[in-house]
Amino acid sequence: MKKIIFLLSLLLISQFLFAQQIEVESYVDRTKIGISDLVKYTIEISGKKIGNISTPRLPKIENFENLGSSTSSSSNYSIVNGKMTSKVTKSYTYTLRPLKIGNYIIPPITIKIKDKSFTTDPIHIKVSEGSTQPAPPTSSSFTQQPNSSLDLSDNLFLKADISKNNVFEEEPIIVEYKLYSRYDIANLAFAGDTNFEGFWKEDIYKPESISFDRETYNGIMYNVMLMRSVALFPTRSGKLNIPSVVLNVDIRTQSHSFFDFGTTKRYNIKNKPTSVKVKPIPQNNKPVSFSNAVGKFKLSSNISQTQLNVGDSFTYTITISGTGNLKQFDIPKLKEVNNLRFLDPEITTDINKNKISGKKTIKYLIIAQEKGNFTLPAVPFTYFDTSSGSYKTLQTKPYQLKIGEGDLTFVASSAAQSIVSLEGSDIGFIITDSELVSKNIYFDKFFYWFIWFIILLFIPASILYSNERTKLQGNIDYIRQKQANKILKKYMKEAIALADKNDPGFYAAAQLGLSSYLADKLKEPRGSSTEYIITKMSLKNIPNELIEKIKILFETCNQARFMPGGFSKERIKADFQHVKETINEITKCKF
Amino acid sequence: MKKTMFTFLLAFMAISIFAVNQIELIHKEAINSYNEKDYQTALEKFSLIENEGIVNSDLYYNIGNCYFRINEIGRAILYFKKALKVRSDHQAARRNLEYALTFTKDKQNSESESVIRSFWLKAFDSLSINLLAIITLALFMIIIVFISFMIIHYKNREKTIPLFMTTIFIFLFSVFLIISILKWQEFHSDDEGVLLSTSAIGFSGPGEDFTRVFTIHEGMIFKIERSEDNWSLIKLENGLGGWISKDTYVRIEL
Repeated sequence: MKKIIFLLSLLLISQFLFAQQIEVESYVDRTKIGISDLVKYTIEISGKKIGNISTPRLPKIENFENLGSSTSSSSNYSIVNGKMTSKVTKSYTYTLRPLKIGNYIIPPITIKIKDKSFTTDPIHIKVSEGSTQPAPPTSSSFTQQPNSSLDLSDNLFLKADISKNNVFEEEPIIVEYKLYSRYDIANLAFAGDTNFEGFWKEDIYKPESISFDRETYNGIMYNVMLMRSVALFPTRSGKLNIPSVVLNVDIRTQSHSFFDFGTTKRYNIKNKPTSVKVKPIPQNNKPVSFSNAVGKFKLSSNISQTQLNVGDSFTYTITISGTGNLKQFDIPKLKEVNNLRFLDPEITTDINKNKISGKKTIKYLIIAQEKGNFTLPAVPFTYFDTSSGSYKTLQTKPYQLKIGEGDLTFVASSAAQSIVSLEGSDIGFIITDSELVSKNIYFDKFFYWFIWFIILLFIPASILYSNERTKLQGNIDYIRQKQANKILKKYMKEAIALADKNDPGFYAAAQLGLSSYLADKLKEPRGSSTEYIITKMSLKNIPNELIEKIKILFETCNQARFMPGGFSKERIKADFQHVKETINEITKCKF
Repeated sequence: MKKTMFTFLLAFMAISIFAVNQIELIHKEAINSYNEKDYQTALEKFSLIENEGIVNSDLYYNIGNCYFRINEIGRAILYFKKALKVRSDHQAARRNLEYALTFTKDKQNSESESVIRSFWLKAFDSLSINLLAIITLALFMIIIVFISFMIIHYKNREKTIPLFMTTIFIFLFSVFLIISILKWQEFHSDDEGVLLSTSAIGFSGPGEDFTRVFTIHEGMIFKIERSEDNWSLIKLENGLGGWISKDTYVRIEL
């Protein structure tokens, strides 16, 4: 997490700087010219916002004549992590004509942009007699046909940059191999592996794709690519050679005619071998506590708590940070303290991207075993300081520890505890209260499966029920037919009550009930005349005697209704019996 | 006619009550004998009850204990196994079986079982076959009730919730049904045997002329794969297979 934040902040800062930065550079197209040649001197101003700049006035350059200037500007947009940055470059090119033969200097030129002064580097130019090669084009595409080897070594070469060339054993050196080119490079690859003899090597950078930056070197603008970067730790003293890196470079040649698309030519290039002087680490006055660490280091320590109880544990952390052979040296030795138990330390080494700086963290877990006051002594760490060339010893702080009695009587080792042990073993006792019945296995019983079957019947039953209901809901006649019995019962109840009181109203009720019942059963509208009902009935499969009976019954009822005074009690009773019998017979009929 | 039926029924009941009483009496005597450490007598009496055709895990367990006491480890293991076959959740029988197995000459407890497998076995054993029967039936009933309910009450209405519930119950039902089937198969299987003679030699074929493959000792539990005449092909837990004589072992069956 910290690392990420660090990187992010680095990115932000760099972007911020980049946005603000204005760069001014100057270069010439060639440094060796003939007296009859012309030199193109370019001042390049680049930045995010450079605004309007008037063409810088070139001061008078000795031994050169200014033939005039041209201006060009280009914008470069790049999108990094979704953020667009733009860069505007303005180039002012002056054509200079040498006046004399000799070695001259184009002096530094000061340019003022937005109240800031920028000074260019001086450029050495050698003017010789006659004319050298035709001037290479100054455009950004350095497409020149490499003819002579002299030309090649000037326009395409590898260079090894060494951070230091006088070091001590184990002191890291950073070597950067850079390819400088003024040609159009089609492809490049390492030719073979490089063996760094006498060094312990850590790779820092290896390119994944071809990408060039622009850089001026000796006053000439080149396309530069960092080919390799390594951190080297010398393992012995003396003069050690830093090996060369060999590259195969394919260069696209310029086409001469319209139909010539150009060809590529392979060159094998190698940087000039260099060497470093490695001094041995002085053997006299070598402290006992020397840890083989070489470089420059800082020591810090930290303790999680100083007051604790017996049985508690705490962490003691020693951090060594700095530049040097972090991976190789030994960790400082801790003096054992009685009554403190040190567990094996946990060592982590974080190396920065540059492979030579970082930090080493040593974490001890310590358990307090007895109460009292103890001192965790200072831990010495001795390293060889390369800047002063002498041994240096750092000390951690001593810590005072106060160890109190624990809440529970702590047993120093768990070996004193013991689990209740088995002293003898035997089988369990017999079961005396069991019911001596054969166990029924339900799965084997018919009854069990019968229950399953019964439950399963629920489904057809519910389907039937549900269908019945929909049928009922959809058919009014059906409902009437089904409810006819209910209506009949209702009227007959009334009629029975009236008959008991010998009320002649009985006839009306009986007639109404009977006719309604029959109308519902026959699916005819209620209130149809009795004659109509009887004719309809005769169409159905109903015995004639019954129809006759009903006919007589209706007639009797009509008579009774329209006869004032009504019938005698005996008559009513007899008719009631008659009605009852008829209804019994009707309900047995199928309509 | 009715009268004869009645007398017959009465007689039958009397006999059965008498039998039950008789069995209980013998059982009590057996327990007394066991308490007095007369294991041989206790065993005889328990066996008497067994011969009445009673299939009971406690009875098998007690017989197993008697055999163990008289140092017949093979038979003791056989009876503990039988008890577990009737009721796989019989804790006492399981403990005793494990204990008895430590007395056999051949090591045969599989301790290196994975956590999942041992968990599964524990769950499987703790459910007795009848409990499973009840659970399965109950789940089946719930599903049927749900379906009937849906048919009747949810003719044209939202069915998501009851459908969801039914699905869950069908899932549970299937799980328990599978367990039940496995259990039922285990219950009715008779492919396991226990070695009763002191030792037996496993041959590569049915006969003593074949190559010796292994020697097993009393109390060994194994699977019986196939039988031929007087020989049976058995498979040990560690994967070894061989033919042993049929009269050296007894099948674990009820």
